[in-house]
Amino acid sequence: MFFHDLKYFILSQLKTKNLIFWLLLFPIALGCFFRIAFGEIYGNLTQTGPIPVAVVEEKDNPVFRSVLESMKGLEEQFLDPVDLDEATALERLKNNTVEGILYVNDKLRLTVAEDGLEETMLKKFVETYTLRETILTDAALTHPEKMEAAAAALSKDCHSVASVSVTTGNTNNFTQYFYNLIAMTALYGSLLGMQICFNNQANLSALGARKSCSPISKAVSLAADLTGAVLLQFLCMAVCVTFLVFVLKIDLGNRLPLVYLAACLGGMTGVSIGFFVGSIGTAGQRVRTGICNAVVLLFCFFSGLMVGNMKALVARFVPWLNEINPAAVISDSIYCLNLYSDYRRFGEKLAAMLLISLLFCILGIIMTRRKQYADI
Amino acid sequence: MENTVIKIENLVKRYGDLIALDHFSLAIREGEIFGLLGPNGSGKTTTINCMLSLLAFDKGNIEIFGQKMTPVSYDIKKQIGIIMQDVAVFNELTVYENIDYFCGLYITDKAERKRCVMEAVEFTGLGEFLKFYPKKLSGGLLRRLNIACGIAHKPRLIILDEPTIAVDPQSRNKILEGIQKLNRMGATIVYTSHYMEEVEQICTRIAIMDKGKKIAEGTKDELKRMIKNTETITVEVLGLSEAVRNEIIQLPHVYRTEYDGERLTVFCSGGTHNLIRVLDVFRTHEIRVGRVYSELPTLNDVFLEITGKELRDRKGDSHVLS
Repeated sequence: MFFHDLKYFILSQLKTKNLIFWLLLFPIALGCFFRIAFGEIYGNLTQTGPIPVAVVEEKDNPVFRSVLESMKGLEEQFLDPVDLDEATALERLKNNTVEGILYVNDKLRLTVAEDGLEETMLKKFVETYTLRETILTDAALTHPEKMEAAAAALSKDCHSVASVSVTTGNTNNFTQYFYNLIAMTALYGSLLGMQICFNNQANLSALGARKSCSPISKAVSLAADLTGAVLLQFLCMAVCVTFLVFVLKIDLGNRLPLVYLAACLGGMTGVSIGFFVGSIGTAGQRVRTGICNAVVLLFCFFSGLMVGNMKALVARFVPWLNEINPAAVISDSIYCLNLYSDYRRFGEKLAAMLLISLLFCILGIIMTRRKQYADI
Repeated sequence: MENTVIKIENLVKRYGDLIALDHFSLAIREGEIFGLLGPNGSGKTTTINCMLSLLAFDKGNIEIFGQKMTPVSYDIKKQIGIIMQDVAVFNELTVYENIDYFCGLYITDKAERKRCVMEAVEFTGLGEFLKFYPKKLSGGLLRRLNIACGIAHKPRLIILDEPTIAVDPQSRNKILEGIQKLNRMGATIVYTSHYMEEVEQICTRIAIMDKGKKIAEGTKDELKRMIKNTETITVEVLGLSEAVRNEIIQLPHVYRTEYDGERLTVFCSGGTHNLIRVLDVFRTHEIRVGRVYSELPTLNDVFLEITGKELRDRKGDSHVLS
């Protein structure tokens, strides 16, 4: 009975035009649109290179100069410094030809125009340099003969900002639109989840009533349909990620199997949300589909699908929202995979997705488990 | 003594302050085609939904095949075929897939299921449409698909809830013939409708419902015997005098007349040759008449006499009730 129900759930959903559109065609079309819209910028930004930075020397600082010189000789250059006066530096910062201005005085100061990965790396560089400079100053006072070796060590440390902070993954801002696109596709799985309720609840559809009269138990029926919905959503997510990576050539990092895993778990989250939304109240299918679409788009809006820096704004003003917004959790999981070399944050995001899925599934089952209705 | 298939005792169902079923009792025997007749909102579908344990009810008891019916009475459900008022099929599955899906909820053996599906297809005449999707079917074919999905597993008890709504007369006749055939094959049928002609045509016993109550029960002849009227004679005649009308009402078995200036209606109770006697009066007075009708009482007359209102809404579609 389970496999019979599963087979026909999958078969019927595979032929549902609405689902094919929202789960396959729409993400592919939107992906193509993003690729065309960001194509040139994206191409430029995926190439990693030294960060252009203006150096305004307010006071002679031989230690810093020595660090800069030693970094120039490295194989992978981290900084592309250019000596400028303050007015020119500010002008260049304004028109984005440099990412920041380093004011060289007794202490090193940094001015940046916006938040971003390059700016974060510059801040980290300044922090590291300041810390090491203190150590170097002490060394100069106590062991002046080792000054040259200490300076070399300092430059190496500062350069390590680049190699330690980032992985080989793609961290450019435009890729985040594609992370959000994956999150949106995953959450459109809610349409599949909602269908489970329509197929099983007698007070929602004639089909649900008809099925409730048959000798299949509700538990078996729900289990079969949930399995079918999750399997279908896995398929849709796999198609979406494959299309982005292999057709649109979007760089989703070098840990692709984990990207697939995150996308599939995200899809499961989407299905569970739909299952929960479908189980509440007695509104019709069109109303619920509208609600689901609106909820998905709202989640995606706060995750940054429509406005690039939305997630940063949310992180600044309502940071907890990013922790519970399923779209943000899904896109962050892939982002973490590309940004951090370890798996801690990625694991946390996967755990959050599992938790959300479990929560909504349990709530959905509680709402749909009844077998008799007060009104049909 | 015939076996009782469905036994409903004192069923009460409330929707807030509205009483949908008011101490409703019923016993349906094996092999019957039992008709539940009543206008929309009389409680027919509510009764069916309670029978199937879809609806929770406030009071009463329902037994099917001698066992108390509950939502988890899967053994009982296996023996029931249900044809819902609203067509309940997957729009994304073909005719064959739909029948196979519903049949598969009852029969797990693939070979047996395939045989049952093909028999249901043959029975409902859907052989040419196996690969069609429901949206491509006409209203009549869609209803037949709905029926095929409900009967493919060869149930002992078949419940049809208004299966002929929005169906053309030709398809309707086929459906009614099919129901009688299923009954001859051994199935007990519960048939709800507000089309009295259908119920009169196929049902062996009928319960008439109104406002959640059973107002009458019996065979169609028994029901008709419950009312005073046995014949209604209508005569198209202009300028009929009061004296002639008085003469007609004095005739044996005539208990009432109505005249609207164009048409005289004569109500008779019992007796034979009433029409001849009425026409004799016109001949005696040399009054020319137009068309003449003589009608035997219908279930609508039964309903009208018991409740004081018509079963069928004459203002709208001839098949639609208020």
